[in-house]
Amino acid sequence: MSPMIPTGFKSFDEKTGGLEPKKSYLLIGSKESGKEEFSYKLLESAASNNFSSVYVTTAKSATDLVNDFLARKINVSKFLGDKIIILDDFSRNVSPQAVGNPYTKILNGPVDLTGLSVTLSGVDNDFIKEGNMVVNILDSISVLLLYNNPVTLFRFLQFISGRAKISGITMFFLLDDKIHPQDVNETIKSICDGVISLKLENGKRYFTLTGVAKEVLEWTELQ
Amino acid sequence: MDDPLFGIGKLDSDLNGLPPKKIALFSASPSVGNEVFGYQMIHENLVKGKKVLLYLNRTSPQSYKTEMKEYNLPDNGNLVIIDSYSGITGIQPEQSKNIISVSNPYDRTEVKDKIETELKKGYDLFLLDSVSLLADFFDFEYAVSVVDVIKAAASSHNISAALLLTDWGYTSQQLDMISSRVNVQIDIKGIEKRVIFGQYFAIIKCDWIVGRKFSSALFKSVKPGGIKIYFPKILVTGPTDAGKTSFIHTACKDAVSVDRIGGTIALDHGNLDFEGYKADLFGTPGQERFDPLLKLLGGESIGVILIVDSSRPEQFPRAIEMLRKTETYGLPVVVVANKADLPGAISSDEIREKLHLDMSTPLVQTVAEDKTKIDPQNPTKLKIDGVRKALESLFDILI
Repeated sequence: MSPMIPTGFKSFDEKTGGLEPKKSYLLIGSKESGKEEFSYKLLESAASNNFSSVYVTTAKSATDLVNDFLARKINVSKFLGDKIIILDDFSRNVSPQAVGNPYTKILNGPVDLTGLSVTLSGVDNDFIKEGNMVVNILDSISVLLLYNNPVTLFRFLQFISGRAKISGITMFFLLDDKIHPQDVNETIKSICDGVISLKLENGKRYFTLTGVAKEVLEWTELQ
Repeated sequence: MDDPLFGIGKLDSDLNGLPPKKIALFSASPSVGNEVFGYQMIHENLVKGKKVLLYLNRTSPQSYKTEMKEYNLPDNGNLVIIDSYSGITGIQPEQSKNIISVSNPYDRTEVKDKIETELKKGYDLFLLDSVSLLADFFDFEYAVSVVDVIKAAASSHNISAALLLTDWGYTSQQLDMISSRVNVQIDIKGIEKRVIFGQYFAIIKCDWIVGRKFSSALFKSVKPGGIKIYFPKILVTGPTDAGKTSFIHTACKDAVSVDRIGGTIALDHGNLDFEGYKADLFGTPGQERFDPLLKLLGGESIGVILIVDSSRPEQFPRAIEMLRKTETYGLPVVVVANKADLPGAISSDEIREKLHLDMSTPLVQTVAEDKTKIDPQNPTKLKIDGVRKALESLFDILI
């Protein structure tokens, strides 16, 4: 049986035992709910537990992302290029001649979902061929929704989730639930196996987890 | 002056280029992509002095040209681009005489007018990247109406045209609407199991070459270099003396063993021509010190034949190790239980159990054609039925 993926949050991992691999998860919440913090810690925890990860960034450059890791004391520098590859789907919108580096692949921008799909498949394939368990984090669906029609995006998500299932990859999609119509949020939820909801209240962050074997239905503090 | 070319040797030799007034459709699966076919076609025709127009809604012109350069298929400065992307993202469009900006890419009329007006100026080749994004931005009927505009302009102004489409699961009726309007269709797909272990293109139809069957071709997109056709490899592996060399020599008429002294210490190779499919069979030595070869050839292969000696179960742990090494590459595997008629040979059920094979992995038994003619210095011919069955099982998984 494949090992569970610890998130790096004690309260979450104690309640759930970690996340079941080979499933797709939606990480949903408002801007201040802590989705980024969650996905960064998850990335660090997955790499520390021998998972290989692909982090797709659509709202900031790979350089800014790595700086953000450092600022938040997310210790992933030693894994970059080896266990972690970043797909930068942002930079070419501001700097069309942007080029990659050993741990970053530059994509053509948020409209080119084919380019994203092809590159993601390629990097995943390389990890799988090395015999590694793989995690994909797509940060975020909300940005892709700003540039693409929702039906196109649903088809894209369905396609990459389907491929991930066949390949045994664990997928995480980040979504800001306050900026899209409810039917869009619900459709994206229906594509995913599990839903991790996050919220900020009175200066503390809380989570629920639904759709998987070990659900957490009551808002529980994230620590 | 010669017709525009595809810039890919096999397509140009099969189709003799893309004649004026003809429209080509490159229809790709989302995990493979077709954009490099566009880069290659544009580059080839620019170099030949053709006038090329690109309608671009997938990325920015600058980003597109950066990608072309990364594939070593650069624009020579003469490519004219209708930029229907910058307006979507709000980035500053490139200011150049060769860039025609669509001020509102969401305006159906403007998009169509810009294409129609520019085509009237006269080009040798027009490329639309991508028709699926047009369909997604507006609707399929609108994308089809744009194809009709292109078809009319291509006919009136002697232009060759190519459309790039990613099939995100459109209905067959929708795809037929596009397909029925083009003269040649090239499908681009991946050979997918757990991983994509190969990609190929196939000419599905062509209305100017009559009475000819087209074969598909495996390819890789190489940076730099572009589309490179390659011949598929099938890896034949297994423990020492299991019968790899015998299998290859039985399956291939022209098999050769390189540096053969008793057990194989280098490579066996044969050109397989089986039921209309061609492939290279590569046999690796069974000794552990050659495992790096297994990795090297595994990365290039589309399938694996694992040969075990049914009468030597003590070798099975080594076979499991080899199987594990090939399975981690995600390749389809067929197990051949050779020497199934020798004393001490165990049954296929026992072999399956000892090798921990699930029922989805085919297991085929083989035996020597004539046991009285076994010569340790030469490959033993196997009975062809078993070899054929093993190959059929592998091609069944692959196709």
